[in-house]
Amino acid sequence: MSQSYLSRRTVLQGLGVSMALPWLEAMGPATSWAAAGSSTKNPAPNRMAFFYVPNGVNMADWTPSQDGPLSEQLPHILEPLRPFKQDLLVLTGLTADKARSHGDGAGDHARALAAFLTGAQPRKTDGTDIRAGISVDQVAAARLASETRLPSLELGCEAGAMAGNCDSGYSCVYSSTMSWRSATQPLPKEVNPKLVFERLFSAGPDPKLAERIARRKSVLDFVLEDSRGLKKQLGVSDQRKLDEYFAAVRDIEQRIDRAEKMPPIPAPAGAVTPTQIPAQYEEHVRMMYDLIVLAFQADVTRVVTYVLANEGSNRPYPFIGVREGHHDLSHHGNDPKKKEKIRDINTFHTKQFAYFLGKLKSIPEGDGTLLDHVMLVYGSGNSDGNRHNHDDLPILFAGHGCGMVKPGRHIRYPNETPLNNLWISMLDRMNIQVATLGDSTGALPGLGG
Amino acid sequence: MMVRRIAASGTMLFCLIIGIFLRLSGSSDAGQASEPTAGGSFTRDGVAFLQANCLKCHGPERPKADLSLHRATNEESILKERKSWQRVIQVIQSGEMPPPNRPQPALAEKERFVKLIQDIFDRADRSGVVDPGHVTVRRLNRTEYHNTIRDLCYVDFNPSEDFPSDDIGHGFDNIGDVLTLPPVLMERYLAAAENIMSRAIVPNPPKPPSRFLSGRYLEPAAADPPVTPDGWRIITVDPNGSPLKTGPVHTSYKVPADGEYRFRAKVYAETSGTQPVKIALLARCRPGAPGLANDTEISQLTGAGLTALKPFRILTIAEVPARSKNKAVTIEATVPPGLEMNLGAVAVVKPPPGEPAPKVYVHWLNLEGPLDTRPSSQHRLLACDPHKPKPEQTREVVERFMRRAYRRPVTSDELQRVLRLVQTRESAGDSWEAAIQHAFTAVLCSPKFLFRIEPDPQPEARGPHPIDEYALASRLSYFLWASMPDEELFQLAAQGRLSANIEAQVLRMLKDPRAETLVDKFVLQWLQLERLSTFQADPKLFPKFDARLKASMLEETRLFFLEILREDRSVLDILDSNYTYINGPLARLYGIKDTAGNFWNSDPKKVKPKPGGRPFRDHEFVRVDLSGSERGGVLTQASVLTVTSNPTRTSPVKRGKWVLEQLLGTPPPPPPPNVPELEEDGKALTSGSLRQRMEEHRKNPACANCHAKMDPLGFGLENFDAIGAFRQKDGDFPIDPSGVLPDGQSFRGPRELKAILLAKKDLFVRCLAEKMLTYALGRGLEYYDKRAVDRIVTRMAANNYSFSSLVTGIATSDPFRLRRGKDQP
Repeated sequence: MSQSYLSRRTVLQGLGVSMALPWLEAMGPATSWAAAGSSTKNPAPNRMAFFYVPNGVNMADWTPSQDGPLSEQLPHILEPLRPFKQDLLVLTGLTADKARSHGDGAGDHARALAAFLTGAQPRKTDGTDIRAGISVDQVAAARLASETRLPSLELGCEAGAMAGNCDSGYSCVYSSTMSWRSATQPLPKEVNPKLVFERLFSAGPDPKLAERIARRKSVLDFVLEDSRGLKKQLGVSDQRKLDEYFAAVRDIEQRIDRAEKMPPIPAPAGAVTPTQIPAQYEEHVRMMYDLIVLAFQADVTRVVTYVLANEGSNRPYPFIGVREGHHDLSHHGNDPKKKEKIRDINTFHTKQFAYFLGKLKSIPEGDGTLLDHVMLVYGSGNSDGNRHNHDDLPILFAGHGCGMVKPGRHIRYPNETPLNNLWISMLDRMNIQVATLGDSTGALPGLGG
Repeated sequence: MMVRRIAASGTMLFCLIIGIFLRLSGSSDAGQASEPTAGGSFTRDGVAFLQANCLKCHGPERPKADLSLHRATNEESILKERKSWQRVIQVIQSGEMPPPNRPQPALAEKERFVKLIQDIFDRADRSGVVDPGHVTVRRLNRTEYHNTIRDLCYVDFNPSEDFPSDDIGHGFDNIGDVLTLPPVLMERYLAAAENIMSRAIVPNPPKPPSRFLSGRYLEPAAADPPVTPDGWRIITVDPNGSPLKTGPVHTSYKVPADGEYRFRAKVYAETSGTQPVKIALLARCRPGAPGLANDTEISQLTGAGLTALKPFRILTIAEVPARSKNKAVTIEATVPPGLEMNLGAVAVVKPPPGEPAPKVYVHWLNLEGPLDTRPSSQHRLLACDPHKPKPEQTREVVERFMRRAYRRPVTSDELQRVLRLVQTRESAGDSWEAAIQHAFTAVLCSPKFLFRIEPDPQPEARGPHPIDEYALASRLSYFLWASMPDEELFQLAAQGRLSANIEAQVLRMLKDPRAETLVDKFVLQWLQLERLSTFQADPKLFPKFDARLKASMLEETRLFFLEILREDRSVLDILDSNYTYINGPLARLYGIKDTAGNFWNSDPKKVKPKPGGRPFRDHEFVRVDLSGSERGGVLTQASVLTVTSNPTRTSPVKRGKWVLEQLLGTPPPPPPPNVPELEEDGKALTSGSLRQRMEEHRKNPACANCHAKMDPLGFGLENFDAIGAFRQKDGDFPIDPSGVLPDGQSFRGPRELKAILLAKKDLFVRCLAEKMLTYALGRGLEYYDKRAVDRIVTRMAANNYSFSSLVTGIATSDPFRLRRGKDQP
């Protein structure tokens, strides 16, 4: 194992500058799987990750012209992914019906992100009574919670709070949240790479760890006892808020229990702690991708979501020559110049995704690479940014899912096939059987070949 | 029942008959007989509209979407199904209904119908039982957490830096329903509580620092000071000697904190006389420190450099019995707190007349301290009566902290629980301080601290009743200070006298520096200026736009509002004022020449220059008189103009929308679900000024309705580019800053636009009151809040629209002071 760690040193050089952590000699990660090393008797586990880009995609430059095996000639936006042609599935025809208005009027951006992993129609509200549905990653996280140190990781490049209302009467929560722990509990994204790193790895041997854990347990026991009679004094909506508190406390208690049983995970060789949020967007994007690689590699978690920019994001991309805002451009009104710029932005993002796939593929694991044991979905809840339509969504599936997926093809599904069927199939491949999720109608055929 | 048997074609007639029948029977019209004639009555005009446009699909037979509207014939029937009718208004306004494939009523008819229904709601809201609404329990947001910790634990750093950002609802980040508590945040709370308490209480304080300086290096310094080979500095007594030889010898100190110190010197003396040799230890202090040496005392000392050391205090005068270095003694003195000592010295006391001059040898000087290295927060938190037995002290300390943390008196159960925790830790070997530190950490993680819980003081009351006094104290302090109540508020609450003194307290609180959070949190969120931090203007088109300019823009708006707050100005200044605050970069952006408010481009023949100005300095903000110019009020401030623009150009639509939403409270309805692609004429899009290119908005009737409200406002501000600089041209095209509003008023340029907005001050004041009421309550406003808003606006009008009248209006309003009773929803 130590030899493979050393070879990863070069792989991890992409991380940001600064203080190297004091870490121990190649002490491997400490889940039962990772410590034992993968073998045929102890196969590598499957992981899932979801990546979101906003404001839709230029479908004309995305959808391959033919179905079946991916040809040498890929559409413009998918070009950067050509080295990974055999690890990719392009899925066409999937639909997020709950992102449509169904009488709620405007707000396609908020709905697109909220419905993407949930398949649920978000309640149109500016602040009172936020509601969507549970997202697929949290379904998985809940089931896998006892297997890894962190049940899941929610990442992003743009923090939640933007000012005012973000989309036509929908609270900003909707257009910035992809993961929902329950229908009423959105999960915030971590945008600071340093904090992500600190959550993933401990700083080294901690002789005082036992004492610290004991103190925390004492605090948690106290608060639970102290608030026992509290809910009775409150009304229904207040009780729900307190429930979030209690659920969070229980979550930490479980985490502490696991921390006692599993020793702390030091960062793999050569990993350097990021110090702050990088000023350049591209660097920020890549740093988060690097952290996901680390998280999977050390088996800190097996479920990740990453929102590359909030829905409706109006960020300009001056470093690729696009100086106008993304959202403004996506309302292209069929202007070819604007569409070209949108295409450039889309290609920028697939390029970063290709970087990520490259890293995954360069890490040996079991009798293959890390890319063989992941199921990644990259896409958007909006198809054409101008029409704001939610059928014919741009969806990429990458990874081999521990042999349960046969990539290298373009699959065209009948229009209006629910996107949530893909989630059902992915959960199935993580050994999590769920009858329905959101607006799913069954499994998605064709993934295995 | 009878209804079903009647064929569809007879529906309309039937409804008419039912309507007349109900009106004649007068059964359900108790007290509603008088319906205003202005704008028509629902029974006549509303029902007619329904019949003409809705009842075909939403009548009694197989109503579409299960919505039958035929039963609505008068006010009461509408009020009974309020939620449905609110939805009806929505879909009519958005153009969804009637559906596009059906005959459409004229716009004016739609608006009249909607107004009829809204008037019905209005009349109901303004009479009847008060409904103060319900605020979902609010957890402290990041800012509130930071400030509360500062006031509770007396430590000021940024404990909430790592917390995930708070979600925003209704434009603000303090809305109870929207703030959630994800597991990540709970983790951070735990870590933060540990961090905070480790700073606030130090159970094992470090040893006091000590600073030694060998005699070799004492001042006065020279290339060849009088020092023995083994490092003893020699002080001789000679009235004609130099300071180098006669002293006092000294060294400077920089003391980090106030407190008690100890100053020492190791010395011996040589003399051929018989009388004792005395030295004085001196401390140079700040001017005005207590106990400074007077001239008489100074005349007792020797040393040519004595007067140069003033002001100093004589710490002690002591005998030096040692006559050889082996017997050298350490003389020490206490330095009391409050002196701000910056130099310590040794001077030889004048020998009695007749005595020969002694020589004093100094080996080293040492300053130790502060002797108490415990932080001041520790002193305050653990302050108690030292004469009481230890358990009593613990009780006093813990009870005080818990009461302040939970923002209310604690029950004996709650107190016992924490005291037990302290005992357990002490039994496990912790010191008293460490045990209390642990207990306080636990209290900081309790939901009673993290949430603002408001128990019902009268749970059996059927109707609305006042909230509990302590809850009121918290509401006031979090509204005005984003922090916990102070001692005065707590005391008034304890005496039950707070609700009777709300106005006086509000005025006091507005004067406190903590009231700045009203600007930093409320105003900046209201005006949506938080977006400024992530705004990226195109660097090629706007090279001036850098981080410093961005920060300056924000600071200008901040200082502007701070003046409105502190000077209690009229809120109408927000729409147009003749002052603002500018620094160097902003002056260059605005084209302002000097601090008197003269512009570079103003013609001295037309506009008389104002005297007394000087050039701006980059880092200094100066209040500038803007009278006579286009600038003034928030609409012309760079911060607002930038945040309502795109990275490469202005957006009149965004600006118009911003004015409608944030200033006038009349937001345009959302765009229709399928905005058709603009038919373009390739030429029109790429040529012409922005205004000309947007003519499409007016040409297409589907767009014109809403855009006629938004675009003119934006065009009126077109003279200000995407980062707020004034311009007469947009590229090659001259700017045309004129506009016509839907009600027919026309204007030319920002000044006239602002005048029109000022004329709409009722709308503005109402909008501002609603937004601040939302912020103060932590919930969105509903129809039952209308009466409260009316009252606030009336109070403001009677008080010259002063800022304080807005705040006191809110603090004394029903939704702020009352809560619902058992009988209310």
